Formats: sequence, structure tokens, C-alpha cells
Amino acid sequence: MAETKQSGELTAGGAARPEYRSYGDIIWNQFKKYPVSYYSMWGVVVLFVIAVLCPVFALNVPFYISFPEGVGPAELAGQTHFPWFGALFDANFFESGLDIFFNFLIFAMPAVAIVWVAYRQTIVTLPKKEFKERRLRYVGWTCVLITFGFIAVYWYDFRQPYVDWMTFSQLEGVRSIFPHFQFSYRDVDLSSVTLPISWDHWVGTDKEGRDVFTRLLYGTRISLTIGVVAVAIYVSIGVVVGALGGYYGGWVDMVVLRLIEVMICFPTLFLILTLRGFIDDPSIFHIMIIIGITGWTRIARLVRAEFLRLKNQEFVQAAVALGLTQRTIIFKHVLPNALGPVFVAAAFGVAGAILIEATLSFLGLGPPTAPSWGQILTTGRETGQMALILAPGFAIFVTVSLLNLVGDGARDALDPKLRK
Amino acid sequence: MTTYIIKRIVLMIPTLFVISFMIFLVLNLAPGRPGGGSGGQGNETAQSQEARESYRIFKEQFNFDKPVIFNARFTLTEADVEREVRILADFQAPICPAEGEATPGCIPEAQKPEVADIIKAEELLEDWGHYIVPQLIQIADTADRLDMQKIALRQLSTNAKRRLLNEYGKQQTPEQREANKAIHTENEMVSKWRLPAEADAATVDAMMNENWKPWFEEHRHRYEYGLGEKIVIFFTDTRFAKYWENLFTLDFGVSHVDKRPVMEKIIEKVPYTLTLNFFAILLAYIISVPLGVWSAYRQDTPADRVMTIVLFLLYSLPSFFIAVLLLETLTKGTPLDIFPTGDFVGKFPEWYQPADRNIQSTDDLTTLEYFFSVSYHMVLPVFCLTYGALASLSRYARTGLLDVIRADYIRTARAKGLGEPMVIVKHAVRNGMIPVLTLLGTLLPALIGGSVVIEFVFNIPGMGLYIFESIFARDYNAIMAVLLISAVLTLIGLLITDISYAIVDPRISFD
Repeated sequence: MAETKQSGELTAGGAARPEYRSYGDIIWNQFKKYPVSYYSMWGVVVLFVIAVLCPVFALNVPFYISFPEGVGPAELAGQTHFPWFGALFDANFFESGLDIFFNFLIFAMPAVAIVWVAYRQTIVTLPKKEFKERRLRYVGWTCVLITFGFIAVYWYDFRQPYVDWMTFSQLEGVRSIFPHFQFSYRDVDLSSVTLPISWDHWVGTDKEGRDVFTRLLYGTRISLTIGVVAVAIYVSIGVVVGALGGYYGGWVDMVVLRLIEVMICFPTLFLILTLRGFIDDPSIFHIMIIIGITGWTRIARLVRAEFLRLKNQEFVQAAVALGLTQRTIIFKHVLPNALGPVFVAAAFGVAGAILIEATLSFLGLGPPTAPSWGQILTTGRETGQMALILAPGFAIFVTVSLLNLVGDGARDALDPKLRK
Repeated sequence: MTTYIIKRIVLMIPTLFVISFMIFLVLNLAPGRPGGGSGGQGNETAQSQEARESYRIFKEQFNFDKPVIFNARFTLTEADVEREVRILADFQAPICPAEGEATPGCIPEAQKPEVADIIKAEELLEDWGHYIVPQLIQIADTADRLDMQKIALRQLSTNAKRRLLNEYGKQQTPEQREANKAIHTENEMVSKWRLPAEADAATVDAMMNENWKPWFEEHRHRYEYGLGEKIVIFFTDTRFAKYWENLFTLDFGVSHVDKRPVMEKIIEKVPYTLTLNFFAILLAYIISVPLGVWSAYRQDTPADRVMTIVLFLLYSLPSFFIAVLLLETLTKGTPLDIFPTGDFVGKFPEWYQPADRNIQSTDDLTTLEYFFSVSYHMVLPVFCLTYGALASLSRYARTGLLDVIRADYIRTARAKGLGEPMVIVKHAVRNGMIPVLTLLGTLLPALIGGSVVIEFVFNIPGMGLYIFESIFARDYNAIMAVLLISAVLTLIGLLITDISYAIVDPRISFD
């Protein structure tokens, strides 16, 4: 009996059993019926790919440089170098671990994609459910490997002495291939201050002579990371707090409710500004943590409400009767059923976190050297360059609206009343 | 209903206590002290006697010499005090030369204390205040090193001073003034009992025996605490207790920046923010409710879909971006010279100039002109605040109407022949807008805290700009006050929301 169910053959009645569809499949099929949201999701994917591939488009280090005999400094003459690949992992060149992580993804992301596609091509004989489970496990392990790979790279702390490849490449007879934009996002160049839009500088340069288009590209990394990490922090806090309150009830719930009440009493921006005021030299990780510890109340309330609804249902009682531990019941049986609204809130939350980070940077409270979009907008306001206001503003707008549209679609897809 | 309201208000008190406790902890345990920088105001630079003294008075004035939550300073022993005094003495002692004859009382280079330790020791001896007077007397009397004795004496002449009663308060009663006079004479006397650095052992002994010892014998009871007194000190002679003491009288303290009462400054700034946000919220409601109703009425038509997406995009536009954009295109000094660049009142459009009179300040304007000028300044900020709220509010309005539009009583209304406008406006909208109206309660804190960025861009001197500046200046009293006021407003807003639900919907009851 069990085998026939598994392989989807004929049942006693003679009618074909419907194909196995998990809850995730149903939601995903629903989501695809909202074209705006569906394409917005692909828009977010494109943004992510842009964030990963920044150095391919813009870096002042050549992919390839070849010196003829007798040209350039003695130790380089007659040699061929590929400095771009080294620079990606150079802790002197990219100061923040964030950039090195994204650079690592340049090589890791194709690996994941290949695994995904190869798996699809080779194992088609398995039943769909098993195939999907295996694929998920495979991709999961690949991600774990990537994480460990990155940690290894980061701890190795690879550093190179600085070499001015730009000057060398202009020497007679040197052949080199640079990325299209030959700028770094943080090198100050006082000879090209506040240039207007040109073929070299698509958005002009700021008051310190940095190419703004390059900064915008690298800003994608900051915005997306802040959005995702801050939301990950507050979702994990909110889920745990809300689950405890909703499942146990009684005084635990009372404490959780009071905690939530205390937190929502402050206007969020006031609280964030206050916390930020105590950090003398903030990095983007500080900003993430600040947003993370101030934003969890919404998630906690959602999860708590879901738990209150679910905890008296039969499947939970069955789990209790089976003698499962409370941890298993909470996290394996109730929580997966309560996560729908959390996903929706998280999608909107990423957009919100990006907006908060942009606001902080705009107010001059962001990380001082990072090429954040809000900070670019502020410099544009100081010098009155229209391009420096429009471009980052538009970038924020596009990112935030794409994420909001994804969240909107997810909300409609999860709502049984709205199913098409 | 009344019982419910009273219960809620009573529950607010512990919540408020926890809130104030949390803000207080965050502010006081965070690194850094008021006056900016993590070193503290004038701490490292306070080399001269006068600077040191004024820094001490500053600390005393804002209770920064007190421990944060609990005070156990009566448990300090002589060894604790001696350790700090020794650090200071080591700092002043000469360093032993590497070879040759050592000067008496010199310190090997390796034992020289770090600068950070010296600053910490100085701070500690100051902050411990009168709790360590007996220990200091003991050290000054019996310490084996002369320089330590002298340092203890010097510290004694500061720590033995008593605080004046109600020193930084506004009103003093005649008795308090009398008592203060006595305290002041004693303080003057005590502060003279110090010795120059080059004094020898005989003078130190003379000073001890003639002045300090008799004085201490006379006032010994001040420095001996019974169990009851210890408990009282443990809980009340702290920063938190002092702060709460002031809160009960609605005294938020004075600003660290200009020493003006915080409450006065807040009251001065609230009208700007209130005007701004009130009109923004009003406008958002006036526009979004009809929009939401219209788009719910035409649910799933192309018009509805376009409207939803347009509002969604509006919602995603960061308000500071739009504000800067408007500022760069529509204000003075830009091609389209229509609006003022910021501020709250005082300018007029080109075509209206009250030229026949000489206008120096806003007092010279007539009431009508004043309102005209304010609304002229308000156009851009209010626009920026409104458009973002539009999307979410009209979304609420749309859902609200969708919930009721298929209800039986609407069908009944249609069946009995009522016209379509009548059905929608009178039967559907009235019921459908309940959730939207109750949202007003949650908007109460936004009235004072919703416009930080807009005030920053348009340079409007309201609450948002005030907290922004206070945070930069580490003006703790101001931050605490603003956060507490907005917390109280939020709590009241939540209560109003719940009550208004019960009022407009008879099915909800709290009893």
C-alpha cells in the first residue's frame, strides 16, 4: 500500500492519484500567478547577481597584464600577471569581510548553479518528492561548504602589497585587460572632483573624485546584506520569543507580552538613533545588529498568534501523545506551520531594513567609509549634483519596491481566500 | 468599561517603570559620558585644579558621581582606598635612574602606573565622595609613605565637603537656606586644610592633629551607618533613584548642553512637529479613504490593479529622496523658485510681499499672514510626509470595505431599492472604515516622532531635529525625556485604539 502511494499509481477506485504536491509547491504555484511579484522576484535575483559580480564590472586592477622585456619595474619586467584574482581576496584591498564574502561568491555561485542544473539533468527517475528532498540536501551541503570555504579564506587573512597597476598599464608596450570601469570605490582622486556625467563616469564623480557608478554598484552589496542579515537577526529573535510565549502561555506569555509592549513603545527611528548614538565608529555590522534588535516585535507577535491558533490542534496533541520532547514539538511540528506570515513579514522587512540603513546613512550616521546609497545621496545634496541625488534614490526605490512587490505577492499567495 | 480602562491604566505603571529602567540602563551603561567623546567631558584635559573642580561639580550636578543602580560604597575598606591613593602617589614619585644613586622614594620605571589607571583612580576617589572620609583620615594619619599621606589629605579636603541642600533646585525654603549657610562655612573651612606638595612630615602631622582629627571626632556620626541607613543608601543614593525622584515631580532635569530645563525646550519644539504631522495625517486620511473605497468598489478591474501598484511604488519611494529632490528643484536658488528651502515661518511667495510695513520678526505679522506664511512653508514637508502614508492607509481602507461589501445587509440595502451612492456611502463605508479610524490611536506617537528625516532636510526646529541633536551631544536628560514622552503617548494611543473599537463596534466588550 505504501509503495503504491509513493509512486503515484492507480488506487483501488481506478482513478489516478493526484500528483504529490507539498505545501511549498502549492504556494509557489500560487505565487507564479502574480506576474508582477514573480518578475520582481527575478529582479531581486538580478540585483543579487549584480552585487556579486561588482568587481567584474568595476575595479582598478587588471584581469591580465603583460610586461615586455625591459619595461616597468625590474621585478615585473617580462612577466605576465593576473592580479585581479588575487585582489579579490586581498584584505588590504577590500577592507571589509563583506566584500571578500561577495568576491568569494563569484566563484561559489556558479558552483551552486551547476550542482542545481546537473542534478536536474541526471536524476529524473526518482519520484518527485524524493528528488526534491535530495536536491535540497545537496544544495544545502554545498552552501555549508561555501560558508566554511569563506571562513577559511577570511581567517587566512591574505594580504598583498599595493601595486599601482593603472600607472603600469599606461607604459609603452604593456598589454592589459581591465574591468570596464577602471575605478575602485574608495580611492580618492583629487584631480577629478565633481565631474559631470560622461562616458567614463556614468553618474559623474563625487567631491572626493570617486566614480559614483562604481560606488553604486558596491552599494548594492551593502544594501542587500544589511537587509538580509538584519532581518535574519530579528526573525530568529522574534520566532523564538513568539514561539515560547504562544506555546507555553501563562507567565511566559505574560513576560513576552510585556517585553513586546515595552519595545513597541518607542518610535523605531528614535530607538535606532539612540542606540546608534553610542557607537563611536560604526561598521555596517553594527547597523545590522541595531536594526536586528529593534525590529523583532512584529515577528514575535505574528508567531505568537500562530502558535495560539495551532497549539490546540489535533496534530500537536498527537505529537504530545507520542511523547515527543517539547523542543521537537515546538520547532519541528508547530513552527513550520506558523512560518507563512513570517516569510511575508520578512520580505517586507528586508525592504524596510534597506530603507532604515539608507536613512541612517543619509543622516550621516552610517558607516563613514562604506559606499552606501544613502551616503551617496547626502554627498550629492552637499555638492548639489543632481545625478548624485537621482541615481542612489532611484537605486533605493527600485530595490525597495521590488522587495515590497515580492512580499505582496507572497502575502496573496499564502492567503487561501485570495487563491486563484 | 470603566473598570477595564482603570485596569489598563494601572497596568501602564509597571510598563512605564520597566521602560524608564531600560532607557536608563542603555544610556548609563553605554560607553562614554555626556559632553561627547568616550573619555568624558574635560576628563583628560582637566589638568589644572580649577578644571578638575569644575568637572567634579558637573558630575555632582548631574549625579554622574553616583553608582548607576545600587550603592554599596559604605562597604569600601581602607585597602580599596589605599590602592587608588598608591597609584596616584606612584604617578607623582620620581623614576629611579637606571644606574647611579637612587633618589629617596623613587619608583622603578616598570612600576609606573598607566595613564588610564591614573585617570580611573582620580575618578574613583572623587566619585566615592564622603563614603571614604574615615578611610582617608586613616591613610593620612598612618600611611607609611609621606606622599600618600599628602594625597589623602588633598583628597580629604574635597571629599569632606557636603552637598548643599536642594542645590540645583529652583526654590529653597528659609530653613534650607540657613542650613546651607552652615554647610557652606564648613566646606570653606575644610577646603583650606590642604598642604602644598613640598610640605614635610612635621607639617602633615601638625595639620592632622590640629585640624582633621578633632573635626573628624566631632563629626564621626556622619560616617557611621546603621543597618537601616545602609539599606536606604543602597537603594536611594543612586543615579536611578535620583532620576526617578525627579520624574515624580515631572522634572526631566536640565539639558547638558545649555543648562536649560529639558521640559521647557520640548514644549518649545512640540508645536512645530505637531503642526507638521497633524496636517500630514489629516491629508493622508482625506485622500486615502476615498481612494481605498473607490479601488475596493472596482475590485479586480484594471484601474484597481494600476492604482494598487502605483500606491505600492509610492510607498517604496524613500521620503528623504523625494524631499531632497523637491528641495533641489522647487525651492529658492533653483530654476523653479517657488518654495522656501526650509524653516517654519517668516517667508512669503514672490507675488505676496507685505511691503508697506517693516517686518523684523514673526511678531510683526498679522495672524492671517502668520498662517499664510506657515502654510507656505509647510507645503513641501507635508507633501513628503503624506505620500508615504497614503499607500498603507488606502490599503487598509480597501480591505476594510472589501470585508463588508459582500455582507448581507449591503445586499438587503440594494434589494430594498436604495441608490448605489447611498448603499456605498451610508451602509458600506461607515462600517468598513472602522479599522481605519481606530488606526488613528496608533498614530498618536507619530505626531511627535514621525518626522525626524523631514525635519532634518527642511531644517524645521521640531522634536525630530531635537532628538537628533541631543543624541549627538549625548544630552542624556533630553534623550530620556523624549523617549519617555513618546512611550507614554504610545501607551495612551494603544488604550484609545482598544476603547474606540469597543465604542464603534457594540459586539466588542471588555467586561
